[in-house]
Amino acid sequence: MSEERIGASFRDPSGFLFSRDGTLYRQVNLQYRRDYDHLMDSGLYDELLDRGLLIPHEEVAIDPLDTNQAYKVIQPERINFISYPYEWSFSQLRDAAFATLNILGLAIKHRMVLKDASAYNVQFYHGRPLLIDTLSFEHLREGEPWDAYRQFCQHFLAPLCLMSYKDIRLSQLLRVFIDGVPLDLASRLLPGKTYLQPSILTHIHIHAKMQKRSAAVEIDQIGMRRRTMSHNARLGLIDSLKRGIQRLQWKSTETPWGDYYSTFSYSDRSIKHKEELVIEFLEECNPSTVWDFGANVGRFSRLASGKNITTVAFDVDAGAVEQNYLKTIEDDDKHLMPLVIDLTNPSSSLGWASKERLSLVERGPADAVFALALVHHLAIGNNLPLIDIAEFFSKIGAWLLVEYVPKQDPQVQRMLTSRRDIFTDYTQEGFEKAFKRFFIILSAQTIEDSARRIYVMKRLEGG
Amino acid sequence: MGYCIISYATFETIRAMVAELSPRGMAYLDPGSGSYLLQLLIAGFLGGLFVIRASWDKIKAFFRKLFDKQANEGLDDE
Repeated sequence: MSEERIGASFRDPSGFLFSRDGTLYRQVNLQYRRDYDHLMDSGLYDELLDRGLLIPHEEVAIDPLDTNQAYKVIQPERINFISYPYEWSFSQLRDAAFATLNILGLAIKHRMVLKDASAYNVQFYHGRPLLIDTLSFEHLREGEPWDAYRQFCQHFLAPLCLMSYKDIRLSQLLRVFIDGVPLDLASRLLPGKTYLQPSILTHIHIHAKMQKRSAAVEIDQIGMRRRTMSHNARLGLIDSLKRGIQRLQWKSTETPWGDYYSTFSYSDRSIKHKEELVIEFLEECNPSTVWDFGANVGRFSRLASGKNITTVAFDVDAGAVEQNYLKTIEDDDKHLMPLVIDLTNPSSSLGWASKERLSLVERGPADAVFALALVHHLAIGNNLPLIDIAEFFSKIGAWLLVEYVPKQDPQVQRMLTSRRDIFTDYTQEGFEKAFKRFFIILSAQTIEDSARRIYVMKRLEGG
Repeated sequence: MGYCIISYATFETIRAMVAELSPRGMAYLDPGSGSYLLQLLIAGFLGGLFVIRASWDKIKAFFRKLFDKQANEGLDDE
């Protein structure tokens, strides 16, 4: 029997996640008993499930991992692919923020409150954000402010403001600051005009200054006089945060690749042929998971998700990912997960002991990998040797659908206009030779009305 | 000089309030004394605003219903 405690689950003494023989469980500790029973008995759990805002679970009769502390063991439904806020587009983070505030509102209705507001507690399940930490609720303490207010501002409001008012790439600050963007930093980076927005003025600028001042004084708890937070004040706080976030906007066509298919590329005939080749590949290898690298707005990813295949569509361009996500919402696509990933620097493992957040590779493998119109960007745009690219893909998936874009292609020519062509190995022969080290080439076809080629490959046994 | 006096006075006021209003320390997360204090400072304003907005929505809904009813009655008359 193999079992281990999950690395990210250590902060909250109410319980923890563990895996046993490949199944994920959550132990509920005795000290959380009263809160857990109220969550289940008050109607809050059922209402959250009805609205798709909490991961469903079942209570299971198995041995807990830590018997001294255990009250119950629950088995939550499994999320197909765990993603992190620094991989989300603007609207994904925004929707996760709204989900958190809606959950808080419902909890208050049932005399409970969210004791934390971490963006890492939100995951996308069937295409929509929901809370995965069932133990995030506790009884409402009358008159007291919301303990997780600062965390909500750091994890959601501050990065959203920075993405909206300053630069979309500032979402990457979440990779550096594991507990969200520090409010004093956000306040310094935001433009002066944000002082005119009441929500940002209050929840970021004044909030940052209050922290600075308060950090400098000693807190005397003796003889403190209590002020209280009324029920309406609590609802007013949620309303104020919601309105502030609603006002934040970002136009996804401002990025270089956000407008890719309408400004460049394949003829109608060649793109149709390419789609046919993708469909043939899916029918041949019948994967249960596909990772589409360089997916842009997800045109080819949708061919997989349309067949109910769990598909993750990665792209470096936040604009393309934003458009992809908005389309998944419009189509109610439950199988497609668009994410912002720079393949030349994919998410590494982060947090305490480098175990809290998994690296991209640790979240694999996938059954099949798409690398369409991508390899030339890695090989020529980033000087990556073809053999290294082939090896990386062989670690991600057993099947590979990869496109070779020759040097005479206008796109590659454009990449070479301002630099010396040092890529002597970048030929069809060089490409095939490099990939044959790790894969068997099952088929290769030239895309009609184009010089580009699509290869179907299968990883070598023991490769 | 004037700014310094005002600034010091503000600092002292906040310091006194923090001393009085610091959290009970029941949360497993540190809520942050500044965050805690800020919520209490804006609580009255946000609560009031929320009540006004909710009432305003009710007033709007009432008149919308009233006009819809009149319009429907008008249609019935025709």
